[in-house]
Amino acid sequence: MTPTSTARSSTRHFGAIAAAWLIAFGVVLFSLTETARAQTAAENYVRENVQRGLTILNNRSIPDAQRRTEFRNFLTGLTDLPRIALFTLGPARRTATPAQIDAFVDAFRNYAVAVYESRLKAYAGQTLRVTGSTAHGPNDYIVTTTLVDPTGRTEAQGEPIEVDFRVDSSNGRFVVIDASIVGVWLALEERDQFTAFLEENNGNLDGLTTHLNMLTNRLRGGGPSTPTH
Amino acid sequence: MAPLLRNLAAALLALTAAGCATAPNGPGVDQNDPYEVQNRKIFELNQSLDRNFMLPVAKGYVAVVPEPARDGIHNFLANLHVPVIFANDVLQGEVNRAGDTFGRFAVNSTVGVGGLIDVAAKIGIPEHHSDFGETLAVYGVDEGPYLVLPLIGPSNPRDAAGYVVDAALDPSTWISWRSSTFFKLGRGALDIVDERSRNIETLDELERTSVDLYATLRSLYRQHREAEINHGKANIENLPNF
Repeated sequence: MTPTSTARSSTRHFGAIAAAWLIAFGVVLFSLTETARAQTAAENYVRENVQRGLTILNNRSIPDAQRRTEFRNFLTGLTDLPRIALFTLGPARRTATPAQIDAFVDAFRNYAVAVYESRLKAYAGQTLRVTGSTAHGPNDYIVTTTLVDPTGRTEAQGEPIEVDFRVDSSNGRFVVIDASIVGVWLALEERDQFTAFLEENNGNLDGLTTHLNMLTNRLRGGGPSTPTH
Repeated sequence: MAPLLRNLAAALLALTAAGCATAPNGPGVDQNDPYEVQNRKIFELNQSLDRNFMLPVAKGYVAVVPEPARDGIHNFLANLHVPVIFANDVLQGEVNRAGDTFGRFAVNSTVGVGGLIDVAAKIGIPEHHSDFGETLAVYGVDEGPYLVLPLIGPSNPRDAAGYVVDAALDPSTWISWRSSTFFKLGRGALDIVDERSRNIETLDELERTSVDLYATLRSLYRQHREAEINHGKANIENLPNF
């Protein structure tokens, strides 16, 4: 091999490496840009939609029944309740029949609307400020927000309340699959409760479904706090 | 101080590991609650005490004492607790948080009339929590099994050890004067009443909406403690797949 051909070969070799690096850099850059774009879209989704829910709960100018219907429509559009229901069922999902699962998902949907309506009332007058987001996995984002009290009371009592939303886009549209208030993930908490109930009741899924329906009725009717089981 | 802490941390770690090693199998193992049967009994006892004594006292306190006065009392009590928070901020190596805590104490003790007014929060230095249970967690001590302690409620060996060390870190434990015993007892009682009165609606809401209140409080305690150790940030590292 002559010195000239060696030099030509080295140049070709260098060119190939440079091209590979450029492509890799481009792919990484594209991927980072896409992730950043998706995160921004997830943030916008939360910013635009969650505030709407707080506004509905804060609307005292409409009858209770109308507010409840609006909140239900809002929550079923914002979240993927059937998917959350299956998650909260934990290992019991594997041994349940399709009919049992359908009944449980229905009961969970009603229970979730009643519980979130009741629990979120405390934050109804507050405004949500999106503070950032993190990509947790492909199509899986955590959007961090803080609740700001217009009267300034929340901040005067301590650190602002941090609420995080886990947003999923694997089915082509954004849906909230969990939310964390001051570090407590609600679907995880529900799964812990349901698992404990099933352990205490010999794995009786129908019993859990009945219990959820009873609890929902009591929440709707404002009945006594502790149902028997 | 650091070797002493490390030894203490190692001793607690060993204690915790021993506790885990001898823990029975059964319900609650998935929730790190191998003593669930015993914990539920203590939980029922605590609930009964709460229903029959603490809640009525807290409701009476809210009914009799106007809100601004209650806020002042809360601020005063919180200010007395600041030295413990400061010590734990320092032990955790959190220089900025320690600075905030020191600033809060200086501002609230002076401009805030002995801590009655939380001026620091109004000028952008909000209150934050820190205790020795958290410090142990920062040093790598595992939480150990979930426990429900009589009168105290949800805890674990690490946090229970933390209560003892926090009491030792509190200057008022070591300062005595003519009426110090009355002051300490009064402060302790008022702390409990203040805490309960500030959570009447929250606990009532949880009781109304929970399928299993014991499991709800266990989940809340464990998740919230993890977030506190992470300075208020929710755990996003080990989230399960849906």
